[in-house]
This record gives sequence, structure tokens and C-alpha cells, in this order.
Amino acid sequence: MSDALRNRAYWNRTSDEYQERHGEFLRRPEPHWGGWQIPESELNILGDVSGKDMLELGCGAAWWSILLAKRGARPVGLDNSERQLEHARRLMVDAGVDFPLIHASAEDVPLADESFDVVFSDHGALSWSNPETTVPEAARLLRDGGLLAFCTTSPLAAICWDEDDDLIRPVLRHDSFGLRRFDQEEGVNFQLPYGEWIRLLRANGLVVEDLVEPRPAEDATSTYCMAEERDWARRWPSEAIWKARKTG
Amino acid sequence: MTDYVARNRESWTKSNAAYTDARAEHAWAQTEIAWGMTETPESDVGMLPPLEGKDVVELGCGTAYFGAWLKRAGARRVVGVDVTPAQLATAARLNGQTGLGLELVEANAEETGLPDESFDVVVSEYGASIWCDPYRWIPEAARLLRPGGELVFLRNSTLAVLCWTDDDISETLQRPQRRLHRLDWNDDDSTEFQLGHGDWVRVLRSNGFELLDLVELYAAESATKHAYYDFNPEWAKRWPWEEIWRARKRV
Repeated sequence: MSDALRNRAYWNRTSDEYQERHGEFLRRPEPHWGGWQIPESELNILGDVSGKDMLELGCGAAWWSILLAKRGARPVGLDNSERQLEHARRLMVDAGVDFPLIHASAEDVPLADESFDVVFSDHGALSWSNPETTVPEAARLLRDGGLLAFCTTSPLAAICWDEDDDLIRPVLRHDSFGLRRFDQEEGVNFQLPYGEWIRLLRANGLVVEDLVEPRPAEDATSTYCMAEERDWARRWPSEAIWKARKTG
Repeated sequence: MTDYVARNRESWTKSNAAYTDARAEHAWAQTEIAWGMTETPESDVGMLPPLEGKDVVELGCGTAYFGAWLKRAGARRVVGVDVTPAQLATAARLNGQTGLGLELVEANAEETGLPDESFDVVVSEYGASIWCDPYRWIPEAARLLRPGGELVFLRNSTLAVLCWTDDDISETLQRPQRRLHRLDWNDDDSTEFQLGHGDWVRVLRSNGFELLDLVELYAAESATKHAYYDFNPEWAKRWPWEEIWRARKRV
């Protein structure tokens, strides 16, 4: 079975439990990034979204896109899992917004070339699909001058991740060489070393504008992370948000 | 002179007497361009722009072996800048012996005194790239470059910096990355500067550079310990020991 189909099956299976566990944490009046939910108003990754065509790769229950629609953007949510998109539809009705939802893998998106101003992902398709095929797709979908922004686990956190108890510790557990593909029972996660992200982006005509390493507050809590991981993330970057611009 | 410039000059005066002076003749004679302690051949990574006919400045050249290789690779002009007179004396001796015609300038790479937009390429291999403050030497590199010119430098990998112990490297993170900037070493009374990847991206972008490439370097299977510098080949086979950044001054 392909990685995309394995991940689809995993997310269909886990979607209800995931939304049950994290729904309250993710329910916010304004957009936030990542496992520590750092406000976009603080990080300013996307800039003014009003009137922009925005594609969310791996939207899950579309928490992000719903808030962007309320801010005047024209979002499209894409996810590989039907069940996640059912949750998205329910939340869209609750929020009183409507926009297209696409059921597809981000490695093969059934949408036209150069149809978006922003393509973005928050622990979505740039973590759960192969970057080698997803980044070219994102570049194809962007208009000239468009922005690709995505938040993933940092390469450092991936190196320090202890799979035995699913914690990050200040100990190097994985070789950098093993970063590309984490094959777990539930599904397959992807990660690249810093240099390979930069080369992959550039090879697809995307100029790196920023690499933001968000830091949780001292008293931050998260349904995704334990307190000791917060202390880790206060000292080292546990997440990376890349910003890259398509240049004609 | 800032405190760290004086400290580093003194530290490199000692290191020159202990190692780099005696090593210089061999280093200058090397025919292949290779990067860092991993001795990664330039032909494997292709991080330098074409050098034929180019004006090159090496910031923190030490004994200027790297500049010598670039001159031999076709650079029209190579200026080596260093703040340590003892290392420049070694460089001048080899320059005379080889007749390569490098120009050697004693200055802090953060304020070289060289004219604006007078170079096509700025390089630094374990020079200004770790011994000067990036918030000072990156603006200076930008000033020295012509529009479209390139900056290529080698530094320790951030992961290695996080894992350093006093005289080796561990598999445990030894220091936080938050506020990583200046590191004062007590063993050899030197001061170096290291940043995480996000801070590097920002300091380059805010000084008018477009990021072209970043390559992380590992030790070859056959790598052995270094004769003088702390280098752990077993660690460096698993994680990046050093990294090369390449950026272009926007036109």
C-alpha cells in the first residue's frame, strides 16, 4: 500500500478521536500555529489574507481555513482523509462559512496551475506527504509572487524524538540520515534536514524568505505535548515554519 | 578593538605557532579545493560560483590556504583579510614562495576598510564565519560585494555547536539554542559566534542576500581524528559536523 493510502487509512481511523482530544484546544477566535498554538498575530507568517486565494494542504477539520474565510480570504481546504473532511463540513456549518473542500493527496492535487496566492500547511501535508512530490505540487499551484508557508516538526526535534515513549529529550536518538521517512505503525511521517529543505524549495523556484522557530510561553499548555516537552521547546526549536516565495 | 577581536588575535597567534604555521606549506600545495575538517571536495558539493576572472575576498583567511586554492582555480584577484599578524606573516611567506600573488590585508573582517562593491565573491572557511559577529561581518560582506555577487561560507553545524563539550562532542544537547550567539571558550581564550538556522536566514535576508543553498557536511567513512582541532569522525558520520551557506547579493 502506498504511503498516501496508509496515511489516509490512519487518519480515517483516528479522526474522531483526534478531534475529540484536540478540538477544544484548536477552537480559537484567531489563527494559531503548531503544537503550541502560537498566534499568527505574533508570528505574522501569512500577512494580510483578505481577498487572497489560499490553499490549505492537509486541512484536517479546517480550523485554519474557517478562520481565514472569516477574515475575507478565499480558502480551499484539501485533505487526504474523508473523515477529517466530514469534521470540516460540520465545523464550517457551525461557523457559518462555506468554501471548497477537496479530498485528495497533496502529492497530486486536482486543481489548476497558478491558481493560489498562498499555499500553506500547519503540521499537514508537508509532514504527512513526501516533500519531494508535495513541494513541486505547491509550486505549480502558486501564482508568481505567491507564498508557500508551512509548519513542521523541526529537524532537531525529529533527531531528538524518543519513539519508545513519544517524547523529545535532549539526546540525539536518530541519525540525520534517517530523517527523511519515519515509518510508524500508524502511518508515515516525512522530514528533511535543513539544507535539503532549502535545496528542494529552490529547485522548485521558491526563494526562502524566513525560517521561524516559534517558542512556547513559559506557562504554555498543549493537548499535543507534555510539560517536559515545553521545557525542551523553550530551549531548542521544536517546530519550524518555512516561508518561501515563488519567483517568476 | 572589541574584546573578542583581541582575544581571538591572541588565541590564533598561539595556534599559528603550535600548528597552522607548520601546516601552511602543505595546505597551500594542495591542488584540490576541499571544505573544513570533513575535507569535503568542492567538486562533490559545487558551492562556489565560477571563479575565472573573479575578484575574491577571503574574510578571516588565517594562513590563506583557501584563498590560494581559489587563485589557482582562476580568480583574477584574491584578497586575504585577517586580524592576526602572525598568520598573515605565514601567508606572506607562502605567497612569496609560490608567487601566487595574493593580496594580504590586516584588518578585522567586520570593518575591512576595503572599498564598497569591489568584489564578486566573498568566502570564509572557519574564518569570519565563526570568529566574527554575524550582525557585523554579514553587513560588511554585503558592502564589499557587487550586486549579484556571492557569499559562500563554512561554519560548524548548529547541531555540533549544541553538542560540544569542553574538548569533544556528545550525543546530548549541552546548551540551549535560544539566544545562541556568542560563545567564550576558556580552554584557549577564544570567542566565537554561532547562530541557529532561522537567525542565519534572517541576518542574510535583512542584509540584502538571497539564500541559494545550504549543504550539511558529514565525515567520510574513512575519516580519522584531526591532528590539531577537535574532530570526532564517529559523531560526524551520523550528524552534520559543519555546513556551507551560499547566498547572492540581490541586484
